[in-house]
Amino acid sequence: MRKFGKAFAALSAALLATGVLAACGSDDSDSGGGGGAGKTGGELKVAYSSQPDFLDPALSYTVDGWAAMWNVYLPPMGYKHEEGSTGSELAPMLAEDLPKVSEGGKVYSFTFKKGIKFSDGTPLKASDFEHTVKRVLNLESGGAFYYEKIEGTDEFAKAKDPAKADISGIETNDKTGEVTVTLSEPDGTFPAILGLNFSGVVPSSTPFKNQTSTPPPGTGAYKITSSEPNREFVLEKNTEFKPFEGVPEGKADKLTFEIIKSLSRAAQDTIRGRIDAMHDPPPADLQPTIESKYKDRYKSFTTQSTYYFFLNEKIAPFDDVKAREAVNVGIDKPALARLFGGGLFAPGCNFLPPGIPGYAKVDPCPWGDPNGKPDLEKAKALLEESDYNGETITVWGNSEDPTQKVTEAYAEMLKEIGFKAEPKIIDGGVYFATVGNEKTKAQTGFDNWFADFPSPANYMFLVNGKSIQPTNSQNHGNVDDPELTSKISELEQNPDPSSVADEWAAADKTVIDGAHGAPYGQRKLTAFTSERVDFENCALVHPLYQVDYGSLCLK
Amino acid sequence: MGGGRSGALPASPLADAVAADPATDYTLDLGAELAAEEKGSGRDTVASSPFRLGMRRLRRNKTALAFGALFIVLVASSLAAPLWSEHVAHKAPSAGQPTDQIRIDGKLTDVVSVDSIPIGPTWQGEYFLGADGNGRDVMVRLLYGGRNSLLIGVFAALITTVFAVLVGLVAGYFRGWVDAVTRAVLDVMWSFPVIILGVALGVALALEGFELGPISIEGGSKLLPLLIIAFIYVPYMARPVRGQVLSLREKEFVEAARAQGAGPIRIMFSELLPNLASTIVVFFTLLVANAILLEAALSFLGAGVQPPETSWGTLIDSGVERIVTAPHLTIVPGLMLVLTVLALNVFGDGVRDAFDPRAKVRMEH
Repeated sequence: MRKFGKAFAALSAALLATGVLAACGSDDSDSGGGGGAGKTGGELKVAYSSQPDFLDPALSYTVDGWAAMWNVYLPPMGYKHEEGSTGSELAPMLAEDLPKVSEGGKVYSFTFKKGIKFSDGTPLKASDFEHTVKRVLNLESGGAFYYEKIEGTDEFAKAKDPAKADISGIETNDKTGEVTVTLSEPDGTFPAILGLNFSGVVPSSTPFKNQTSTPPPGTGAYKITSSEPNREFVLEKNTEFKPFEGVPEGKADKLTFEIIKSLSRAAQDTIRGRIDAMHDPPPADLQPTIESKYKDRYKSFTTQSTYYFFLNEKIAPFDDVKAREAVNVGIDKPALARLFGGGLFAPGCNFLPPGIPGYAKVDPCPWGDPNGKPDLEKAKALLEESDYNGETITVWGNSEDPTQKVTEAYAEMLKEIGFKAEPKIIDGGVYFATVGNEKTKAQTGFDNWFADFPSPANYMFLVNGKSIQPTNSQNHGNVDDPELTSKISELEQNPDPSSVADEWAAADKTVIDGAHGAPYGQRKLTAFTSERVDFENCALVHPLYQVDYGSLCLK
Repeated sequence: MGGGRSGALPASPLADAVAADPATDYTLDLGAELAAEEKGSGRDTVASSPFRLGMRRLRRNKTALAFGALFIVLVASSLAAPLWSEHVAHKAPSAGQPTDQIRIDGKLTDVVSVDSIPIGPTWQGEYFLGADGNGRDVMVRLLYGGRNSLLIGVFAALITTVFAVLVGLVAGYFRGWVDAVTRAVLDVMWSFPVIILGVALGVALALEGFELGPISIEGGSKLLPLLIIAFIYVPYMARPVRGQVLSLREKEFVEAARAQGAGPIRIMFSELLPNLASTIVVFFTLLVANAILLEAALSFLGAGVQPPETSWGTLIDSGVERIVTAPHLTIVPGLMLVLTVLALNVFGDGVRDAFDPRAKVRMEH
């Protein structure tokens, strides 16, 4: 997912929606409790600054949606409600075990656990999984591309009646609960795709329509009992749910998610106790006060995200490696960090973020200390060595906060090292589609990525030559290093990234050394609760879904 | 042009004659009214045109003149933005980083703290009014932003005036179906609240820009808010102008012109337009103030001036999130806006009192 969004979440639903991974092993106050302790019962209120894009697992592609729904819709695979590295390891959820891989990574099979029921009492069937995938494809969800690798999806797309049409690559057996998925080509990331929120299984009776106003039943610890778009939605305990390893029972009986557009009001309400948890970081104005005055119920955590500037290698001036190196040397990372407000950014050198398998801190950074002042003289010298002929370059960014500030500051940094740079700020809703369109010929601009699943593959595809497409390309810098491309493509086939972590780290180093983009660090986010909440024991920060609202409990 | 009264500049003999006889009932003869009042005060008005009389009255209104002068000072200071930027602040409006430092009382200080709080006014050349979140000089940006606000305000008002007068003249003079159609269009535009119409057009056009035949304006161009504001205010001026034309066209001097063979164009521009001059002047000053306010409102809402361009509205918008920790970011551009609009309104009132003592002219929203 591309950005941490608030106001534009609905607009960005198609492809460019939000997502956040909370970190593990970061250097800041990542304390806080696990999911085990704490009182159960009661009602808690959570403030969201905007309505999640969808309350339908087939469609939602934002952190707001996923953070609320991962307690409602369980996929066959998934992530345990644990902090740190345990929480980012793929584990069986509705399936008995991780999928069995055969035919060189083309066939994946798993069996559903017995006795699982949806929140409306309907027993879970293996064929519900096929229906779930069909909905993602038929509704043209932003996540549909993940499932297009399944054999027979092209034919399914052409069918007139999706309910009757079959996806030939998915075979299910309702009696045994077995599911076999055949892909058209091997894909090592497929087990993680089975763990995406899009794979959250819904009953076969769920219509092929957006169900945001009447969310379908799920198999998780909570069920959505009411949904009033732009006002609130309510999660109540699912009485049909039976806890299993990694997925405990929810703590509060009822979680009300209120849409409060003003961050300032939400922060004040949380301070006073009218709201129990704030989903978004407090506004910049109040953040220092909250951090110092309410430190017993506030913490920041580094997300598994990567923030970088893409440098278009297909066109001048960044087709020249010296020009790209000049940018990497010349950007002032501590200055950029201050634009995120209240120390909510961690400058870094790597393209892969800490906590992801394959992350190996590049130290010393070839472009200088990420926490130090840039060597402008060196940057200027590199630019002089390049073929840059002094034409004005356009620096792309969008009007969201802090993207606009970052883009404007970046343009100034480019000016300082000798580029003639002018920022171009466009609307956040169309930004990534615009820079991802080859006709735009965007030379450089703001970029970021929050992974859909915690694997280096889900970051490195951004610099994989195979990801370049004429429209909606995610490889905005048109990075097409043949060696890097073949390495990434090879590593992607391995379903266990940890086993090839060194090779992923080497690929990361290639991205840095080749100046394929200019990464500058990771975003930090916050957890802030009311005094009523047992913050010490119950505020679990999950590496993928941030604060686990199912874990929040009253004192 | 025979016996028609051309009202404003220069005064025709008939106008002077009428002015000399206040008992004559020429109700829309502003010159006569003014002259009558002036005569009452013992001054010699026979040779004075209504415009001169208006100017004389305006000169006597010291408050209006003081605020007029204030407006000129604000315009001049905005025009001098490059001088301040280059010779005093030594910084371009977009230059600066949060990690830049400044020496205050001999101590080097970050212009934006580690907590991302920008410094307030230093009252010295650099960062005279403090820094913004990006470490840029607020004073420099304020002056440059003022250029955009004033430019848009003045030119939007000019365009509105030209179109509104044309529309008002044509509709009022020709009446019949021309008037019916024009009035219907104006009424539809009028029926939308200014801000709603502005935001709707601003948001729609900011994304894709505007293309109509050979005219093409890019999405982020300053021309867009300028034209949108100009367009929105047309009915607010065209309707009263039309009303005056409807009344004027029945007067004897128009009859006389027509009898002498003058065509519609000539009557509209040589006979009616001069009689509308005082209304236009009064309206124009009020329009400038309203256009500046609307620009600020639209920019604040993200539908006006688009970044990286700045105006007072965008400066206020970007400062709002720091209203507690760095209030100067909103107060300073807000104050400039208040001063400018106040200056224009007081001056505009003075102009109205001088040129249109019956005060028929009002900007109604």
